[in-house]
Amino acid sequence: MKRAFYLKWAFWGALALFLAWDHARAPRIDLRFEPPLIAAGSGQTPTAGHCALPK
Amino acid sequence: MRRFPIAALAAAFVFVLAWQVSVRQAALFAIGIGMGAALAGARFGFTTGWRNLVVARDPRGVVGQAILLGLAALGSMPLLAQFPELKAALGPPSVSLIVGAFLFGLTMQIADGCGSGTLYKAGMGVPLNMGILPLFALGSFLGSVHLDRWLALGAIEPVSFVDHFGAAGAIAATLAGLAVAVALAFAWTGFKGPASWFDRRWLWGAVALAALAVLNLVVAGQPWGVVYGFGLWAAKLATATGSFDPTSNVFWSQPGNAEILRQSVLLDVTSITNIGILAGALWVAAGTAAPGRPLTAMQWLIGLAAGFVMGYSSRLAFGCNVGAMVSGISTGSLHGWLWVPMAFAGTLIGVRVRRRFGFDAP
Repeated sequence: MKRAFYLKWAFWGALALFLAWDHARAPRIDLRFEPPLIAAGSGQTPTAGHCALPK
Repeated sequence: MRRFPIAALAAAFVFVLAWQVSVRQAALFAIGIGMGAALAGARFGFTTGWRNLVVARDPRGVVGQAILLGLAALGSMPLLAQFPELKAALGPPSVSLIVGAFLFGLTMQIADGCGSGTLYKAGMGVPLNMGILPLFALGSFLGSVHLDRWLALGAIEPVSFVDHFGAAGAIAATLAGLAVAVALAFAWTGFKGPASWFDRRWLWGAVALAALAVLNLVVAGQPWGVVYGFGLWAAKLATATGSFDPTSNVFWSQPGNAEILRQSVLLDVTSITNIGILAGALWVAAGTAAPGRPLTAMQWLIGLAAGFVMGYSSRLAFGCNVGAMVSGISTGSLHGWLWVPMAFAGTLIGVRVRRRFGFDAP
């Protein structure tokens, strides 16, 4: 029971650390290039980032 | 932890995303929370549904999954035909897909969770699934690194039913295919009246997940996926430690993937919905004891190894139950229909391996 409790905190702690580390090392997000809220009808096609795509 | 602090933290994260990243990513995180809450609240387990069909001859989970696929197809296919900027989950029929789907179906039974199942169970605090997640990510990354070699074994171009038959024709073909799948499940179990195949929990889970999957497509421009985000996380760590050079790899040197690898993970669609699913499941499970029972050292070892293979094979198969089955079939990709029988064949072996190592012991 106690082990599961510590594992849960370790899991969420590691995830939070990873997100913070990655956000800090990545180039600053330029909000001027923010995509439209809804892709449908925006004219902007996603180019990558789905597991079904072979490339 | 109680539900209110979790809801407050999630709301704060939505605000941070909207303020610092983009309103779209904030919306996708909220959609992910809904998916996690639906998966955990309805205990909508793709793996369990298949295992119940095979072992207990209980078709309720499979019927629930067919309802999800049918509803998602009814929502997605007209949108794909109408808006050219929306992309279907089109994977190439290939040797890679056949091998990957079989291995995935086998190992998901041992690990007791597919891509979405691993996520929501990890969010609910199930120890094995929390342990599996990093290995799933590592496997998914290695699968993407080797993907070009697997594709060289034989592949044809992806086939889109929406492009070939139009939205109406693709919906008709999809619903007919799902009806055949449900009929086969009935034939396997024996028809014992509506009470034996209909379950309210599976129904509301299917309706909620179908609505959220269509919303994901409309907002993100691409269908719901899980595996890409896992591989990306491991790829980022491997690149940062200098153990991987993405410029020398076919998959990660593609301009789209290279850009996603370079930029903040908070800009990646799949990563943000994955984190949302974890958060939604955490919220549902708040204040309750973590489900699951203690495992032996051997069971841990086998479970973790299965998680690694699951990650690797899901890349070869162009998705897990979500990316290949739900998104593939509901957006009219032939590869989704090839994935299902191969993964089910793997499941037939996986349930035996699971029993052999005592995972089903009371």
